[in-house]
Amino acid sequence: MALTSLWTGSENYLCDAELAQAFHMARVLGMPLLIEGEPGTGKTELPLQYAKEQGLELFVFPVGSKSTVEQFVANFDHVRYLRDSQVEVLNAQREEKGLEPLSSSGRMTENLDDYVQLGPGAKAYLKPHSVLLIDEIDKAPREFPNDLLYALSHRAFILPESGRTIEVSETDMPAVVITSNREQELPTAFKGRCIYHYIRFPEPATMRQIIAKHFTKLEPQLLDRCLDLFYQLREMGLERAPSTRELLNWIKYLQAFSPEEAQSRIQERSGMGVLVKTQKDMEKVLRLYGK
Amino acid sequence: MFSTLPHTFREHGLQADVRTLLLLRKSLERGLVRTLGDLYLVLKGLVTNDPKDYGPFSEAFYAYFLTIDFQPGEKLEQAIQRSRVYQEWLEREDLLDEETDEDLVDRFLNEIHMSSYDIQQMLDGEAIFREDNPDLADTDDIPDEQGMADTDDSPIQQGADYSNMSLEELLERMRQIAEQQKTQHRGGSHWIGQGGMSPYGHGGAAAGGIRLGGPGGGKMARKVIGDRQYYPVDRKMPLQDDNIDVALSFLKGIEEESAQSILDIPETVREGVRQGGLFLPVQKDKKEQKLQAILMVDNGGRSMTPYVRMILKLFSKMKRRFAHDLKTYYFHNTIYGGAYTDPARRNFEPIDKILANAKDYQVFVIGDADMAPYELSQSSIAQWQSIHARFPRAVWLNPLRERYWEYAFTVSIIKSFFPMYPLTVGGLEKAVLYLNSKKV
Repeated sequence: MALTSLWTGSENYLCDAELAQAFHMARVLGMPLLIEGEPGTGKTELPLQYAKEQGLELFVFPVGSKSTVEQFVANFDHVRYLRDSQVEVLNAQREEKGLEPLSSSGRMTENLDDYVQLGPGAKAYLKPHSVLLIDEIDKAPREFPNDLLYALSHRAFILPESGRTIEVSETDMPAVVITSNREQELPTAFKGRCIYHYIRFPEPATMRQIIAKHFTKLEPQLLDRCLDLFYQLREMGLERAPSTRELLNWIKYLQAFSPEEAQSRIQERSGMGVLVKTQKDMEKVLRLYGK
Repeated sequence: MFSTLPHTFREHGLQADVRTLLLLRKSLERGLVRTLGDLYLVLKGLVTNDPKDYGPFSEAFYAYFLTIDFQPGEKLEQAIQRSRVYQEWLEREDLLDEETDEDLVDRFLNEIHMSSYDIQQMLDGEAIFREDNPDLADTDDIPDEQGMADTDDSPIQQGADYSNMSLEELLERMRQIAEQQKTQHRGGSHWIGQGGMSPYGHGGAAAGGIRLGGPGGGKMARKVIGDRQYYPVDRKMPLQDDNIDVALSFLKGIEEESAQSILDIPETVREGVRQGGLFLPVQKDKKEQKLQAILMVDNGGRSMTPYVRMILKLFSKMKRRFAHDLKTYYFHNTIYGGAYTDPARRNFEPIDKILANAKDYQVFVIGDADMAPYELSQSSIAQWQSIHARFPRAVWLNPLRERYWEYAFTVSIIKSFFPMYPLTVGGLEKAVLYLNSKKV
């Protein structure tokens, strides 16, 4: 299993108690942790910060709509394999004519492993105590999570071309974190193999702690104003409610000014584009707060 | 007794089986479970698969471990106050005058959900508190009963530490508790009282810990449990704003894949190499996801008014998120030769045109199907039948409570040939399963 001490966040990442416990539990049991939640609540940050703070090697697999398990585990380089096999024939002819043989850089067509390029999944399994992030798995085609099932429950990948099996013992199992934005429902069987955690949107009090991790010297009044407005916006029922990430960006923007100037900028609602992301929402906000 | 645990969870519509038990055993062996709060968190991680599960999960957990049962539609607070566990807990506790019922329920929940992580936090807080205010710690009313954090008597050792217990022991303990519960009313208090949860609740660490808070102090269980997300979602409730997202997640289940053939380059190369340099193209299927749906809504009459807005909201969400093609038709009570494409029912579209849609459309008819018997004419029935025949994947979603169906004559007629499900979260789930089982 991955390192199993309870990890509760680092200098600039606040890991809420429940998430910390779920993550701990996942590592102790050697199971992947599946995190869902609104965008911008720090799902992806968890493994990144954990790996960074603990000094562990991190492997990331960003999932896209065309992702396949081959990309995740290992790719077989067919083209190079074809080239080398043709080169062998060619070299036999060249030898007859007394020409220098062409090089295959030491690759042997008999040794299929030479043509396998390992993906992040296989690399993580080969490296004890590493951290493996499978980001935004909901973007993947439907069969992707199902194809992962075997690897997750048996802690082994099989490379079909070379027949090689990459296995990892429970003690060396990497800490696997999978994130999802819930854009599509994941198969039940897949979820059953994971420890599930849903990140709830932080309460104002927690949000203060999060902000304190990022901005050490922030005017208390300014912070109050920001949070007030931020949570008001969230409750307005916008099409796309602003998230933690946007709040942090906004504060970063306000930091560029003197406290007085920042206050007046909030008053004037300038720089709201950081928080409000659609034209319709913006109109609604401006209508309600006036200019 | 533990063996009935998966059963209890399944009764609440959750996924649980023998594997859950095995993983629970593993968690116990590895010291993840020290308090009842830990048990809650561990099981939550193992059993839940979706935020919508949190409600049913809490309900099942309370029912199983604390014998708190929920009446349909009851609030968490009421269920707790009604329960015997809570009553006994009240008898044992020193009540403060200023505490309201609400405070008491909060305190009760905090004790139940105290996890070893919280205890750790409180002990940390205690340590900081002492360093900062040495005088206060000695003179104030913080009980100096135990030398908390720094001795072996620290609450975490004193408390119910289940980490050294095997699953069988825990099981036995549960059985004893259950038996006592039947014979006398000392009940579930064992879990909270003699079981050793109490030291955290009052007196021990909590008196210092919770009140002083400390960094990140004890979390309020109420905030977690009382949250709407955790509040039991009744799957039999008609669709409302609260559970529309849950319903949507079920609808997502009907996405379908289409396949088209493309050249499989790796396979072509592999075969070619095997054939000694003779390359023959190999084909493979390329999968794509698409979803086409026809929505037919009964928006006439007062009986349907409350539902129409909700349904349209649900399906417009669905369209925005994942449907590629959604056609909406409107009708009043039933169809006579066709339906309308606008809510005001002005643009008439004859049935032939509706039937001309490709047969791989999924059809959702939404209406209460409750009308005067003469309104449902023979030709109207025939038209519904032709829709059902044309589109193998068609369902009727009925907002009328299922138990009234048999009393409405027209409902039972339509139901006899058109697959009908209640317009509830649970009904949608079943409808989607049905649609997926049908091949075009």
